[in-house]
Amino acid sequence: MSVKGLAALAAAVGVGLLSGAAIGQEVKQDQKSQVGNANVPPVTQDQLNAADKSTRDFLLTNGNYAQTRFYPGKQISRNNVKNLHVAWIFQTDVKESMETSPIVVDGVMYVTTSFSHVYALDAKTGQQLWHYAHKMGPITTYCCGPNNRGVQVLGDRVYLATLDSKLIALNAKTGEVVWTTNIADPELGYSETMAPTVVKDKVLIGTNGGEYGIRGFVRAYDAKTGKQVWNFNTIPDSTVGVWATKDATGRDMHRNIQAEKDALAKVGDPFAKLGGGVWQNPAVDLATNRIYFVVGNPSPDLDGSNRPGDNLYTDSLVALDLDTGKYVCHFQYIAHDVWDLDAVSPPVLVNVRNKAGKTIPGVIHAGKTGHIYVHDRNDCSLIRFSDAMVPQENMWVLPTKEGARMLPGANGGVEWSPIATDPGQELAYAINLHQPMHYRVESSPYPNGKLWLGGAFTAIAGEKQSGNITAVNYNTGKIKWQVKTPEPMIGGILATAGGLVFTGEGNGKFAAYNSSDGKELWSFHAGAGVNAPPSSYMVGGKQYVVVGAGGNTQVDFKRGNNIIAFTLD
Amino acid sequence: MFEKLAICVVVLLLAATQARAETIEDKVQVCAGCHGADGKPVDKTIPTIWGQQAGYLYIQLRDFKRGDRKSDIMQPVASQFERDDMLAIAEYFAQKPWPDLGQPRAPKDVAGKALGASASVGCPACHLDHFQGDGTVPRLAGMGRDYLAKTIADFRTRARGNNPGMSDLMLATPLDDLAALVDYLAGL
Ligand code: HEC
Ligand code: HEC
Repeated sequence: MSVKGLAALAAAVGVGLLSGAAIGQEVKQDQKSQVGNANVPPVTQDQLNAADKSTRDFLLTNGNYAQTRFYPGKQISRNNVKNLHVAWIFQTDVKESMETSPIVVDGVMYVTTSFSHVYALDAKTGQQLWHYAHKMGPITTYCCGPNNRGVQVLGDRVYLATLDSKLIALNAKTGEVVWTTNIADPELGYSETMAPTVVKDKVLIGTNGGEYGIRGFVRAYDAKTGKQVWNFNTIPDSTVGVWATKDATGRDMHRNIQAEKDALAKVGDPFAKLGGGVWQNPAVDLATNRIYFVVGNPSPDLDGSNRPGDNLYTDSLVALDLDTGKYVCHFQYIAHDVWDLDAVSPPVLVNVRNKAGKTIPGVIHAGKTGHIYVHDRNDCSLIRFSDAMVPQENMWVLPTKEGARMLPGANGGVEWSPIATDPGQELAYAINLHQPMHYRVESSPYPNGKLWLGGAFTAIAGEKQSGNITAVNYNTGKIKWQVKTPEPMIGGILATAGGLVFTGEGNGKFAAYNSSDGKELWSFHAGAGVNAPPSSYMVGGKQYVVVGAGGNTQVDFKRGNNIIAFTLD
Repeated sequence: MFEKLAICVVVLLLAATQARAETIEDKVQVCAGCHGADGKPVDKTIPTIWGQQAGYLYIQLRDFKRGDRKSDIMQPVASQFERDDMLAIAEYFAQKPWPDLGQPRAPKDVAGKALGASASVGCPACHLDHFQGDGTVPRLAGMGRDYLAKTIADFRTRARGNNPGMSDLMLATPLDDLAALVDYLAGL
């Protein structure tokens, strides 16, 4: 369908165009404009615990606390998905990168945009109920776009973390601010783009800033008051580790351990400015009361000379006790990373087969390296890693001043994009980038909260980029099917009990595939990059699939400002 | 030569400003002498500050004062301000309209080269769509051509040392690509 046709369609159903001109970027002045109230009952912890079974709601960023992104409804199925059509389009006021995961509570949808705006919409009609336009502080320091990946609801509050590093509770009915807490100082490189995870009256949040020499953390705040309950430094006081020379897959990383030991004697443990951001939501294991998340790259990204040691817990899976924030276990994928091939895509809790073939609680993570890593949930240990989903070449060549070519490029493999799983088929679905890059190193001292890359990674002009959607059997590590896409993929994916996966591309294509063989069954062109994770829900007896089409800053895909919901007649 | 003259002007103007009660208008009066009463800088190597991102303007004033960004001209100017003054001044100039310097659009082949380089480094990942900037990242679209060329050269030599990340990126970009980017950005 053409863009023109779409606009006409939106006009015909009489929605979406109410919010005025959708040009420019940030609405600085207004706090909240209200059209109506969101008449929505409070969300209970029991509801959140059972989110994986709800076909009506989509309550958590990745569907449920295990983060499976598996939607249990099957009204939309392999047989009828070809009839899927636009139910409504909502145009936000912000035309910038869109990474939001729509949250749906009993017919009310909460979406966010770049610059930390929140909208409450009628999930059936797309009509705006309220709009919270965050008044951004003058100082923001962030990487990869002014993104926001969504909110979560508990009780009658909507929780939001903002680009200027604040945590905010909004009234779910009206969008009014209930409380605001400063998380960290944006002038030192801290920012927030992730959606909070709210569980048992705690709001869990990580931080960005691995490009600015921060010291990363995951924190729990009291959901009622906004007071901090606990803090876990993703960079412990001792970061040296075991001087690992091989990565998780057994490949030599060409570390000069003696030089590092000499540097350690000279500069000491580099923990204070070592980075270690957490970009995405933790998974929550309700049975053991633990959370599992991944920690991003060390600072500076490409220059390891002033950060001797393994740089714990960067590039790692980490588990904590939910009540206390105390360390449980970790597994580091890449020690002393100098490629920014870190861990960002949110981990997923599923049962997996261990090496002995026994089914045990597992946790899986899709890496920028292009592997899906399968762990034992008990001690974080690695059980297996999958076939590479993208070409790998010249790993791990050290960055040079002139630039060394290596694949994958620094965006991955799998970037922040959440994966989906279908436990019935033992499959994990991931979207990947393929961007050949040069890795360059430059050395400079800590620059007081400024951009600190320690070099540059640059896409190689003339080398073709592409992407793919890959289904991996996490019990064997084998690729089951793969669909190649013309451009690198970033955003997210959803699997459903209807035997489908839904995902979008930077060129505006949004499509449904048979989740067993990857056959394309339906597609739609949004006119702007579809680089956000889809959600699904039911209202009025009908299943909907919804996705943001706003393009992407990081990979520079065409910007837009649409939230598009699809349904069957 | 220009620098020496300019310093004299600054000293005079500073002396004059300090004598008076300090409203925001007073504080920014001195700026017009170089950055332009109408937002158009009086010299081609002076940057546009009207309509620039507030966070970026604040950070530069902070860096000039700290000496993280070296400038014989701007350091004495910025040194008289405290953090709150800097934030207020930054907001004041951010609210002004961005001036049209009337610079020509880059020819097609130059623009093509610039966009290729921009895609390789990923400039819009930080400077955003249409190079409008946000927060502490500056707008580049329509910035004076000569200033852009000068500050990019300064990043490369680290004479401008207040953002090693930008220095690294500029060092990773070939000179002919940078020349194309300067023409392209100035003409936006
Ligand atoms: C005598 C001339 C002069 C005066 C007066 C002056 N400036 Fe500047 N300003 C400059 C020059 C030249 C530069 C570029 C410095 C460099 O790159 O080395 C500059 C740079 C700046 C920058 C950095 C902009 C950028 O894009 O990086 C800011 C911000 C700034 N000036 C603000 C001010 C303010 C505010 C005032 C008044 C309080 C002021 N200046 C007064 C000449 C002047
Ligand atoms: C990773 C983020 C990032 C990328 C990528 C990036 N920049 Fe920057 N750039 C910045 C930041 C932050 C500043 C502000 C520097 C400071 O703090 O003084 C800046 C400043 C600049 C300035 C100085 C403007 C002024 O008014 O003085 C120029 C020119 C510039 N960038 C050009 C580019 C070009 C051209 C590219 C791509 C080839 C690029 N940048 C890529 C973050 C980035």
